[in-house]
Amino acid sequence: MKQLFPIRHVMGYVFSLILSVVALAVIVWDMSFTTAITILLICAAIQAAVQLFMFMHIDEDKSNKASNYTNIAYALFVGLVTIFGTLFTMIWGYL
Amino acid sequence: MKIDKTLPLEYQTEENSNRIFGFWIFLGAEIVLFSTLFAVYFTLWTRSGTGPSAAEIFQIKPVLLETFLLLTSSFTCGLAIHAMRLGMKKPFMTFMAITLLLGLGFLGIEIYEFVTYVHEGATLQTSAFLSSLFVLLGTHGAHVTMGLLWGSGIMIQTQREGFTHDTANKSFIFSLYWHFLDVVWIFIFSFVYLKGLM
Repeated sequence: MKQLFPIRHVMGYVFSLILSVVALAVIVWDMSFTTAITILLICAAIQAAVQLFMFMHIDEDKSNKASNYTNIAYALFVGLVTIFGTLFTMIWGYL
Repeated sequence: MKIDKTLPLEYQTEENSNRIFGFWIFLGAEIVLFSTLFAVYFTLWTRSGTGPSAAEIFQIKPVLLETFLLLTSSFTCGLAIHAMRLGMKKPFMTFMAITLLLGLGFLGIEIYEFVTYVHEGATLQTSAFLSSLFVLLGTHGAHVTMGLLWGSGIMIQTQREGFTHDTANKSFIFSLYWHFLDVVWIFIFSFVYLKGLM
């Protein structure tokens, strides 16, 4: 039975539950917008990393490791440019 | 066919290893797809016009339940793949079944949530905020629905054929897809619901 629950996965699960509860703090307590967004960003980034490394094992395919990282990094780059570029032109630019 | 026995079953043939890498590239495209939807939502989320605003319609309880169900299903999906690598078919099938049931539960709550919104007069056509919200949540929900059908198909095939190069490869690729949906949900949970409620 024990071999069916590898420690890496159990830890990942516990981490993601804890991080979700931590993120919940932003609606429980009053805090500044900057503090709240910082908490959300950090929690979400760590959770995404937990999934990517502890559950999806992005690092395990030795022959495609570099290509895998490059691909995900490039996708994140395009995604972030899309989101922040949109915010910059549509919201912040007209303040 | 060259078979590398030192690797896990799903990676052993070159074709299968390429399929897994190809799926990672697809996930890269999915990251960009969801980024565009998030960008639209972040631009329009305060534009509620005469309709309800985010803080007025969001309810934290169903959202927390959805988060819990999806996080747990992502965990059990990882356990299913771990069982597969140990060559244990019964635990694999059990964990897959739990994963899909939790996914179904998630979908049920999301549909309930959508129905509640519509009853409160918050429809796709009401405002720019709601259009962007429904498209973002709906795209994620459609992915989960697709995952349920896909996962069921893989369970049927594995039940019939056992762990082969093909079924192991398909199961592993399904697990990547399922974990990815959980990642997207984390961002929806944080930057749509929590941000909307604070």
